[in-house]
Amino acid sequence: MNIAVCIKQVPDIPTIRMDRERMTVIREGVESVINPLDGVALEAALGLRDTWGGNVTVLSMGPPQSEEALREALARGADQAVLLTSPAFAGADTLSTSHVLATAIARLNPCPDLVLCGRQTIDSDTGHVGPQIAEELDFPQVCGVHEIHVETDALVVKQVSDGFLNTLRVSMPALLTVSQGLSVPRHIPLGDLERAFSDRKVIRWGLEDLGLQAEEVGLMGSATRVWRLYTPPPRRRGEILSGPPHRLVEHLITMLEAMGILDEEDANG
Amino acid sequence: MKKMQTDRNYEGIWIFGDYRNYFQNRVTLQLISKGKELAQALKTEVTVLVLGNRIHQYAMEYVAHGADVVMVVDHPRLKDYHVETYTLLVAKMVESFRPEIFLAGATAFGREFFPRLAKRLRTGLSADCVSLEIDSESGLLVQTTPAFGGDLLAEIVTPDHRPQMATVHPGVFEERVHDPLAVGRIVYPELEIEADERVQLMRTRPEQVRKVNLEDAPVVFAGGRGLGSMERFQVLFDLAELLGGEVGATRPAILSGWVEDTRLLGQTGKSVKPRLLVTAGTSGALQYTSGIQGAEAIVAINRDPHAPIFKIADLGLVGDAHAILGLLLEKLRKRL
Amino acid sequence: MLKFKESLIAANHNYLVNEMLTPGFVLGHPEARDEFWFVADVVGPGRREGLISARLYDGLGNCIVEMKENEITENPGQILFQPIPEGFRLNEPSGKLLMESRTRSFTNGTLTLIHAKLYDKQGGLRMEPSYEGVKVYGEGRLALPAPYRFR
Repeated sequence: MNIAVCIKQVPDIPTIRMDRERMTVIREGVESVINPLDGVALEAALGLRDTWGGNVTVLSMGPPQSEEALREALARGADQAVLLTSPAFAGADTLSTSHVLATAIARLNPCPDLVLCGRQTIDSDTGHVGPQIAEELDFPQVCGVHEIHVETDALVVKQVSDGFLNTLRVSMPALLTVSQGLSVPRHIPLGDLERAFSDRKVIRWGLEDLGLQAEEVGLMGSATRVWRLYTPPPRRRGEILSGPPHRLVEHLITMLEAMGILDEEDANG
Repeated sequence: MKKMQTDRNYEGIWIFGDYRNYFQNRVTLQLISKGKELAQALKTEVTVLVLGNRIHQYAMEYVAHGADVVMVVDHPRLKDYHVETYTLLVAKMVESFRPEIFLAGATAFGREFFPRLAKRLRTGLSADCVSLEIDSESGLLVQTTPAFGGDLLAEIVTPDHRPQMATVHPGVFEERVHDPLAVGRIVYPELEIEADERVQLMRTRPEQVRKVNLEDAPVVFAGGRGLGSMERFQVLFDLAELLGGEVGATRPAILSGWVEDTRLLGQTGKSVKPRLLVTAGTSGALQYTSGIQGAEAIVAINRDPHAPIFKIADLGLVGDAHAILGLLLEKLRKRL
Repeated sequence: MLKFKESLIAANHNYLVNEMLTPGFVLGHPEARDEFWFVADVVGPGRREGLISARLYDGLGNCIVEMKENEITENPGQILFQPIPEGFRLNEPSGKLLMESRTRSFTNGTLTLIHAKLYDKQGGLRMEPSYEGVKVYGEGRLALPAPYRFR
């Protein structure tokens, strides 16, 4: 089973600096980690590969420093790592990002049977890239998967969606986004315990390697534009009271009454 | 779809009718209400799409809560939500009827389905909007979303692609009151229902474990390490139960083993936007406050008058959280 | 452009006709003295069940019953009115079901489902069961915006 895993390097502590002209975030010079859920996806991919054989390729679209995350993925056991990087890719919304990733996945040889990614990232958190990659590749998708079972021609997966525990059968090739609870046991073959990774390099692909035009990617390939980035207005600072608890509680109850929060409860009994 | 510069063919506000878990899940009603505002600014109508089987009551509810039109596809093959099938059908409807704006709730299904649909339509989609307005000059939908972990707000527009799509978290907007006298139009497009067989729902059942539904709770009581012990969290649970709310916690409290990790609030946990959030024994670290700052009203209780949490509170109470909350519980129990 | 059908829909109560919800519908001309007609009337929020008025004929041109707002007013065919939970039935003397009206309740509204196979005076089929509701034929108005005013 050949698997492609999309990972993203995200800022560990968000020290935001903005490029005010392009209305995008400046990522260089900030501590970065593999997005936690992408890490879960990677472990799952490696577990599936160890059991069923095949190839795990990790991809990431980002600035040159994202190579760190890909090297870590190689160290963890991925067979191949591809960094999609180009100044033209900057400022991409999910439409544009998914186009680059899907194009890259489609160029992998052998073609993956399964694409895995984390359900969402810590920083931008839209959770949209996975479904959009699936759509471009015309792969069926299931999001937020916490269990994966491999059957002859298909995968049987479990997800929790809006309070429902769903068991779904998905034919391959497919894309799954994973949630926190997913774990796939890794059986590391004894003879393979110490793989020499020093010779594995991260492959870099840019615009030309992907056969894409500048208009299709990055800011130009995006459908949404950021008009304005601003710090939320400081929260109106209310009163700070001290005194005996019963007076504080009285004050709080008055506030709850004014908000109508106690009315509803009175009515409901 | 890329809109031609002189193309004025896109009209109308569409809302995806996400009726699963109705009556608890009211996000569609909330979007109808916001949609009516947008429709007024653009002099157009609100249409709610309903796909499913035997969904008559939802169509009626949407009209009662303000929809001008409900567009219904009612077929046995649609009795369960299905991402690929819905994407196929809704894309056809969008291509045919060309709405200018299309909104959906950021439920789990919405977050799976809407991006796929936006990609099929090759249009822009913003997620988890906290505000939606029509810019008077350009007529564009201004979509405000948190950016970079909630430290910043971004105003986003989709200038050249249609429809302009956005998802909104439940609880951001307020629904209109149910009007039993409302009458609307109902439209039944003729569509061939081709179910995409590549994903088959084998089994579905409501989750057995009582889900900690922090995101939809109208009232949240949150506790931190300052509470002191697991036992002292109990008063939060009692207050939450009394007021129909939920209990959240900071990472330090969870790491101390006082509450389960599904109650984590903050940057790596849940973000909540309740009407009222009471936070006790929490100092106010940014990683925590980013998850609660969306609350309508914040009440902070802390022994230390200089705790940073007071900077974001609407009402700050300096004192012993245990005493204050205990007394609050006693008084509320007497009157409710 | 996709083809589509359109109707009205009321928040509080609807019928199901030609696989569409509708607040009320009329078949034929209720002012006519001796002709088939059928009114499923618009009902206000105070009322849960549908309001049926009709002048019904057998397949051979004979009037069998006339009803105004769920009550029989003329009964040449000796039709039996049978109340049922959430509605009523009209049965022929043989026991055969002529028409049923049954109202389903939702939390905030109701839906009246009619079940009947009806012919007009000329023997033409005007109504027959279809899925949960009925399919109707011939002259009529399928979406009343307001209650029908009987003269």
